[in-house]
Order: sequence, then C-alpha cells, then structure tokens
Amino acid sequence: MKGITQVIAVELKLIIRDPMSAFFALAFPTIMIWVKLRSGKPLPGGLPSVDANVPMLSIFVIGLATLVILPATLAQYRERRVLKRLLATPASPGMLFGAQWIAHMLMALLGTALLIAIGAIGYDLSAPADPGVVVLAWVLGALSLSGIGFLLGAIVPSGRTATVLGLSVFFPMVFISGAVIPRESMSGSMRAIGDMLPMAPAVQTIRNGWEGHAASPVAMLAMVGICLVTAGVAVKAFRW
Amino acid sequence: MTVIEIEGMSKAYKGRQVLTDVSLQVERGEIFGIAGPNGAGKTTTVECMSGLRERDGGVLRVLGLDPQSDRRELLPRIGVQLQEAALPDALKVGEALKMYASFYDKPADWRKLMDEWGLTDRQRSSFASLSGGWKQRLFIALALVGNPEVVFLDELTTGLDPSARRMTWGLVREVRDRGVTVVLVTHFMDEAQALCDRMAIIDQGRVITHGTPGELITQGRTESLEDAYFALTGGQAA
Repeated sequence: MKGITQVIAVELKLIIRDPMSAFFALAFPTIMIWVKLRSGKPLPGGLPSVDANVPMLSIFVIGLATLVILPATLAQYRERRVLKRLLATPASPGMLFGAQWIAHMLMALLGTALLIAIGAIGYDLSAPADPGVVVLAWVLGALSLSGIGFLLGAIVPSGRTATVLGLSVFFPMVFISGAVIPRESMSGSMRAIGDMLPMAPAVQTIRNGWEGHAASPVAMLAMVGICLVTAGVAVKAFRW
Repeated sequence: MTVIEIEGMSKAYKGRQVLTDVSLQVERGEIFGIAGPNGAGKTTTVECMSGLRERDGGVLRVLGLDPQSDRRELLPRIGVQLQEAALPDALKVGEALKMYASFYDKPADWRKLMDEWGLTDRQRSSFASLSGGWKQRLFIALALVGNPEVVFLDELTTGLDPSARRMTWGLVREVRDRGVTVVLVTHFMDEAQALCDRMAIIDQGRVITHGTPGELITQGRTESLEDAYFALTGGQAA
C-alpha cells in the first residue's frame, strides 16, 4: 500500500479544486436541506421532517459522490491516459483505486456531517435511535453504490459521457428511491418501482436506524450483494 | 552490455498484425532511437518493453527480465513517458513529483530532481497551466523519479515549437549522461540524427534496418538521414 496517503491527499485536493465537484458534494446538500425544511410541516405519520430528511439526504450525498463524481474522475483519467501512466509505475492498481474510493468517501462523509450539523443547529434534529445501524447503513450504502459507480467508471470512455450517464442513473434513482422525497409522501406504485432500485435498501435501512425501527436483514444483504456483483464485473471489465 | 534484447517479437490487435518480427538490441548507456512511419508499430514495441502490453510471440528481455511475467520486478527499474499522456489539470508540479516518488521503494529525492530540471519555480503551477515544453520537462522528471536504469520516451517533442524541441534534446542528452539508457521513439530524422547513438527503423511491424545514424546514411547512399529514411522505407518525400 505504498503511497496510499499521498494519493488520497492528492485526490482530495483535486476534488476540492474542481468547483463542480465541491459544489455538488457540499453546497448542493446544504441547499437541498434548506429547501426541503422550509415549510416546517411534519410528514404524513407525524415524523418531524428533519428526522427523515437528514438520513435520506446523506444517501443522496453518497449517491452523488459514487455515481456521478467517481465515475467521471475515472473516465477522465482513462481518456487523458492518466491511468495508463500510473500503470507504468510500481503502484498497485488496488492501492490506486482504494485511494480514489477513500477520497470520494471522505467527501461524502463531509457532506453528511454538514447535513447533520445543519439539521441539529437549525432544525432540532433528533439523535439517531440506533447509531450502529445508521453507521452500518451508511457504509453498506456507500459500498453498494460505489460498486455501481466503479462499474460505470470502468467502461465509459470519456469524462463527459461518464457525467451524463452518472447523472441519468443518479437523478431518477434519488427521486423514486426516497432519497429526496420521503417514502411516506410517495404513491404506492412509485414506492414499488423505487424499491427495486439499488438505492432503496440504503435509504430504508438508514431511516430505520434513525427512527429506531428494526432494520431489514434482506436490505442489508441486498447491499452486500450489489457491491460484490458490480465490483466483480467492474474488475473484469476494467479498461486502462 | 545488452540492456534490452528482442528477438522475433509479434503482436496483433483483434486480428490486425501490428508487429510481425521485431528484433533489436539496446546497449547500456546509449540513446537508442526507434523511427518509422505512423502505424509502423513503434509505440506498440515500446509499450511491450515497458510492461504496458503483452506480446503474442518472440523473446523480450529488459534488464534480463520478461516485462510480462516479471512486471513487478521490472517496473521499479524503468521510467516511462507516454505519448499523449497527461496529468489531472489541477495537479501541481510539486504534488505530481511527490506522489510519483511515493510509488517507489528507493525513489530519487523529488525536491532535488525538481531543482535539477528547473521546475522549482513552477512547483505550484498546475499541470494545465504549463506550456508544452514544460509539460515534457515534468514528464521526463517523472520518468526519472524512481531512479530508473532505462527510460522510454515516446514522441517527446511532437507538437513542441523549435526552441522547446532543442531544449528537450538537451534534456535527453542529460538523462543519458547520468548513465541512464534511453529508448527514444521519434518521427523526426533531424532529432534522431542529433540524439541517437544507434537506431532502428520499423516499418509494417518489422525492423527493416538498424545501426548508427551514420551507418544508415551510408546504407541509403544519401546525404542526410532523412533521405536515407525515405530510401530505406520506400516512402516518398511529400
């Protein structure tokens, strides 16, 4: 794992220097939570809106980092032969991609911390009922969505295509998986479609953990499964 | 002492034969040129030597190692500058050198290297802000950061203005004068004549001739290396 701290530090700097990614990762969730909590009305069922929106939007943030920014970075590196140049060094590919992943996860973590801070300071956010489940849901959600992001980044030839593709996977997914609109506000048929998308188990598990409902083992297994399958295909299909 | 030995190397991409029979030797401490028309197989040859591509057949040894099966032992001992490779736009000169140095067990002192190659004043410049000549200077420094015994430079001066080209030639000689063997892929015969101790001309996937630039001129019965090149490849001057 030689050089991993170097690569993580460099990747973080590059993400922060790119105004687009910095905006997406940090400013966007801030705006989202402000817009969503403006009315102050509780959700159908009586849950204060903030207690649903903070965990939901943290999955939104993970989705942005893994499905949009990560594949665009990888594809751009391929397009400009940055990857090829790295392949000619003794750096191990596992280390390089691990470092990439960690850098993007740190951005998502920062976005999540920002959401929690805004929720707690401005909107009287309740503490999570089951913090262990919340953390587990965050990590498993990050792993499963990263698998999909890596798969996109493994095969898409250019950064521009990756961004378009990433956004067209991300937006429908966040809207019908309950990461933007709370599940209880959606119609039954929408919810049924959303439940089939890979983001749904992450949203459900993190909300269950926050509200103190039992987490579904099926949802957690689904996330592990998605991660293993997509990451496996990504490794096989990867093009330098 | 022979540093690189290739005998009958072949390579096809999706049924298209790119290398049919490449054989050549590179000796320690020389600048060895590889020239030839577009699509002749120059880059493929270099990519096979530097472990970036797998050959289909033939013998290939770099520093006594097989770039395919001994890739892990070979990579720390070679340096590479790739054709049209780039770095992320926002990456700064100093950051690039420091990061690449971290990949090697026994790297050169990257600050010293940065100083020697005149990059210290630009250490906080982003890659995107560098001119072509300075980008190539950085790529040469990156190729040297692992203290390699052999460096591969693929079309180092394509796209540079005449003064940047001349400056880059000086850099290549400096690399050799440090005792590093240089394999230089080039399109330009003036460049080959000015820099190469020995060279090979590749056409349609085979080495059609090799020798010192002077020997090639004699072989082609011409005045200049460029005329010899056209005589030997059967190509026409435009």
